[in-house]
Amino acid sequence: MELHILEHSLKVASIAKEGIQICTHGLIKLAFLPSKTRCKFFSLTETPEDYTIIVDEDGFKELPESEYLSVAEATWLALNVVSGGGNATSSQPIGVTKIAKSVIAPLADHNISVFMLSTYQTDFILVRERDLPMVMHTLSSEFTLLRVVNGEAVAANSTGVTNGFVKPKLGNHLPRPIIHPLSSPSNMFCVTSLDPDTLPSVATLLMDVMFYSGGAKETGGQSEDSGHIRFFSFSLIEGYISLVMDEQTTRRFPNNVLFTSASGELWKMVRIGGQPLGFDECGIVAQISEPLATADIPAYYISTFKFDHALVPEENIQSVIGALRTNESTGQ
Amino acid sequence: MSSGYKPDILWSPHHADRYVICDTELSLYRIGPAGSSETKAGALPLSEETAATLLAINSDTPYMKCVAWYPKQEPECLLAVGQANGRVVLTSLGQSHNSKCKELVGKEFVPKHARQCNTLAWNPVDSNWLAAGLDKHRADFSVLIWDISSKFSPEAVPAEKVRLSGDVDSGLVVTKPLYELGQNDACLSLCWLPRDHQKLLLAGMHRNLAIFDLRNTSQKTFVNTKAIQGVTVDPHFQDRVASFFEGQVAIWDLRKFEKPVFTLTEQPKPLTKVAWCPTRMGLLATLTRDSNIIRLYDMQHTPMPFGDEVEPTIIERSVQPCSESIISSFAWHPSAQNRMVVVSPNRVMNDFTVFERISLAWSSTTALMWACGRHLYECTEDAGQGVAAAEKDIATKMRERAQSHYGHDTVQVWRNHVLAGGDDPQLRSLWYTLHFMKQYTENVEQKQQSNKQSLIYSGIKNIVKSSSGTTETRRCWSGSDRQTDVPWYHSEERSLALQLCGWISRGPDIDVEPFLKSLEQEGEWERAAAVALFNLDIRRAIQILNKGASAEKGDLNLNVVAMALSGYTDEKNSLWREMCSSLRLQLKKPYLCVMFAFLTSEPGAYDAVLYESRVAVRDRVAFACMFLNDAQLPRYIDKLANEMKEAGNLEGILLTGLTKDGVDLMESYVDQTGDVQTASFCMLKGSPGEVLKDPRVQCWIENYRNLLDAWRFWHKRAEFDIHRSKLDSSSKPLAQVFVSCNFCGKSISYSCSAMPHQGRGFSQYGVSGSPTKSKVTSCPGCRKPLPRCALCLMNMGTPVSSCPGTGKADEKADLTRDKKLAQFNNWFTWCHNCRHGGHAGHMLSWFRDHSECPVSACTCKCMQLDTTGNLVPSDSV
Repeated sequence: MELHILEHSLKVASIAKEGIQICTHGLIKLAFLPSKTRCKFFSLTETPEDYTIIVDEDGFKELPESEYLSVAEATWLALNVVSGGGNATSSQPIGVTKIAKSVIAPLADHNISVFMLSTYQTDFILVRERDLPMVMHTLSSEFTLLRVVNGEAVAANSTGVTNGFVKPKLGNHLPRPIIHPLSSPSNMFCVTSLDPDTLPSVATLLMDVMFYSGGAKETGGQSEDSGHIRFFSFSLIEGYISLVMDEQTTRRFPNNVLFTSASGELWKMVRIGGQPLGFDECGIVAQISEPLATADIPAYYISTFKFDHALVPEENIQSVIGALRTNESTGQ
Repeated sequence: MSSGYKPDILWSPHHADRYVICDTELSLYRIGPAGSSETKAGALPLSEETAATLLAINSDTPYMKCVAWYPKQEPECLLAVGQANGRVVLTSLGQSHNSKCKELVGKEFVPKHARQCNTLAWNPVDSNWLAAGLDKHRADFSVLIWDISSKFSPEAVPAEKVRLSGDVDSGLVVTKPLYELGQNDACLSLCWLPRDHQKLLLAGMHRNLAIFDLRNTSQKTFVNTKAIQGVTVDPHFQDRVASFFEGQVAIWDLRKFEKPVFTLTEQPKPLTKVAWCPTRMGLLATLTRDSNIIRLYDMQHTPMPFGDEVEPTIIERSVQPCSESIISSFAWHPSAQNRMVVVSPNRVMNDFTVFERISLAWSSTTALMWACGRHLYECTEDAGQGVAAAEKDIATKMRERAQSHYGHDTVQVWRNHVLAGGDDPQLRSLWYTLHFMKQYTENVEQKQQSNKQSLIYSGIKNIVKSSSGTTETRRCWSGSDRQTDVPWYHSEERSLALQLCGWISRGPDIDVEPFLKSLEQEGEWERAAAVALFNLDIRRAIQILNKGASAEKGDLNLNVVAMALSGYTDEKNSLWREMCSSLRLQLKKPYLCVMFAFLTSEPGAYDAVLYESRVAVRDRVAFACMFLNDAQLPRYIDKLANEMKEAGNLEGILLTGLTKDGVDLMESYVDQTGDVQTASFCMLKGSPGEVLKDPRVQCWIENYRNLLDAWRFWHKRAEFDIHRSKLDSSSKPLAQVFVSCNFCGKSISYSCSAMPHQGRGFSQYGVSGSPTKSKVTSCPGCRKPLPRCALCLMNMGTPVSSCPGTGKADEKADLTRDKKLAQFNNWFTWCHNCRHGGHAGHMLSWFRDHSECPVSACTCKCMQLDTTGNLVPSDSV
């Protein structure tokens, strides 16, 4: 397996809902006019609390300075796992599950905080730039580490730096306790993508979904159904578009524009955190992803500025909740 | 649908006259000759000769991303279309409802997760297999190999889960691929390897080119590279693959798949298409975005594989199929040589043939050959009877002249122009000039051993420069005592110049009578009259003209001229003068014209005579020598000489002589005519001075010799060499016998003979000069050692004095002998019977005491077989 350390230097920011209008110019440019910026990595996730933006340095320049914009202080680097050997194995652990044991758990064990971004195409694990030596040290045994420089992957060598934390004892198979409260909204989600060539034709619709959801309460009807959650994610990373949206929202799109899976799978969300999680606590992703990996349940995981979100297949939601509850109880 | 789709073009694999343009829809065209009955009124012209007819349009498949044409004959027009959502649809164009085709058309192959289909490729052997390359998905494979004959399998996906918008119920949807490859990776391009149809070459997103073998999909060969946007296999060389990325093309050898064999020069814009020419070995065409040129790389002569240190020989060129418009895509014609159709973004098509660069070669005879593509053309001279001698090719002329011993008459030098055919006024003038120069030199030699000789060959230009003691006289018209007002100049040098011009035979008296007589004999009446007039003898001039008029085929007009001449008056304002000066211009004959010009000119202002280019240079110069003063004369001569030099007119040799100036003149003559023969002979006539050492002269001579050799005129060449050695004492006879290497067959003096002066100052048997210099112990051609001396067992080329094989006495004697003998001792010598031999010195000393060959067990009595071998060098006794 290869672990690519991508060259984007990323910023994670939050825009308060009421301040979104001052940022729309920059956001529209980043989302729909990629040729006008040098930005290669852009992600926007709307949650009921705020908008979370993950963007590289070139893209960050497009955003105005404002009181509504709060930026996590660190610079983040994206890691991407590539099955470099290309073994066509028949069993397909999907998404975060696949890397839960190999990447997320070891990083948690070494007290390295991670920020997850799953997309239609792949999963990105964001780590702080300053943690990189430690990350490399941690993962070098399991992966061929490659650093992307000017679009070309070159071998990166671990410098053997540790962060002083004592390595946990090997063979510690105790389940990780789940610390934060979990909730599962009632609505279902689609993880999808679309052909960049067709993006202009649905741009206005996407803008509507992104920025005017708050005003259109009657369509969502979330006021009456408390189990409903407003959640939308758009990312444009290295030319690839990925979308996560409410099933109801997908119906607003014309036929054949959104990529759908043959099985038409739908996802349910597990929301992690009762109060904002912050960026320093480590092991949150691992707490969720490890039990899912053990149960062989595919999952998407999207971290935002305040909370984390895991998406699991709708038919698995009961077993997921079951698995997580077990851990929760053992933790307490 | 976005308007950003640029049309691509695809040739039918089996019908050489059909192709498909795909942008938002598929359009089938047939290409045919323009204006033929087959092409309808709606045909689109593609070129001057060809036009395309639209046969069918298919717009059933939106969101097209890539198209591949079914490779087999039947069904004929089946296309696979890859869509933006990853589905692959089989469709057809312009088909009657062919049963076989019908079954397949409309069939859809759907990946588990939708994403763009980047590329499609049919397996060339098992044509049911269709490989599709898709963008990456976090949980799916990027390469799906579909079996188009497979049936819809409802058990693969539970029916209630299928939420496809399309026609699921029609039973035409296939969701189960035959093979899945490349997880968590995008496939941007792929192709089947023609050498082994089970193998697939993929270009993936993670900077990999990978080869999968479908018999064992868990194993793959892969290499990291940026060049992954497209891969294509050379149809003529199945191990050669081109792949590209942005502006870069990498060429791979699949047998050495670690790194590209080479990369082509990077282009500033990203490439959009790279295609090998199917009809021509090693020709790769590349197209960049928004460009109106197609760049071609010719690797025909690039060895595969080649060593790292060798720079590949790739000929790069570009073509511009349609003058202005940008090219959207192109496709090579599958069978017509180097032909392609290009299409512009607004669907304007162009039929275009890339012309091969033409290589051209002259033969040493008149033929010319050129090669273009697969054709070879020969152009030869029309050897018909009607061809005038002057129009013949110079090679033909030189051959004829060589056969008639042109240049070899050293006694009557002027005769050479007759040998040359006698029809070239320049050669005639040249050889007369050389004749007079030679004649005068001989005269001088008889009388006084002065160094005038060198002056004569340096031409009139230098002669008049050295002029001194010019006397100016006013002569009378002969036969009258009327004084002319024309100043007339005389000096020793001027009279020498007149001799060289051929007007007088030997000075110092000015007696043109013999010259006039000879002109009369040749029937050059006008010229004779003019010469007579210029010598102020009107009576003689009139007499000559009369004679001319009465001669056989004489021109009666000459009488009229004579009459006009007789009316000459030196009165300035006479009617005669007025009429003559204006009417003379209507005279067709230049000499008649200059006669009146002379008579009507003011003294000292003779431009009408001097610059009348139709008058022979020698006559104008002679005239100038008589009538121009010391200031005017050199100026005029200089000016004329420069004119001649520029024009390469051999008449100018009279002025420049055989000096460096003369070589310049000859150079411009050779540049125009290629006549190295005349140049060689002419320059050999000169005094053996600096001129012969001029590299240009040596070049002409060598070229002429090579020409003679090429014509297989061996004897002529030998004659020329003899002639040359007579005239140029510095050119010794050249080596005629060479020692050739046993291994490569080349002369062992090969490296030396490559120098411009073949064999000059170079001893006969390849071992040169003094013993210390002879270090050549191996063949300069192939570096194999020379044979060993049978006696000293050293390789030949080792100096004999350092050989321990000889007796001490001999060695000492060797040192005392003169250098010449020492050289001879180093010579190669061998017995023609037993082929044993060695250093000549060793052999001589061996056979002084022995009669049999020095090689053990060889009983050849070498020395007795050699009639001259018994002769002992006189100084060794």
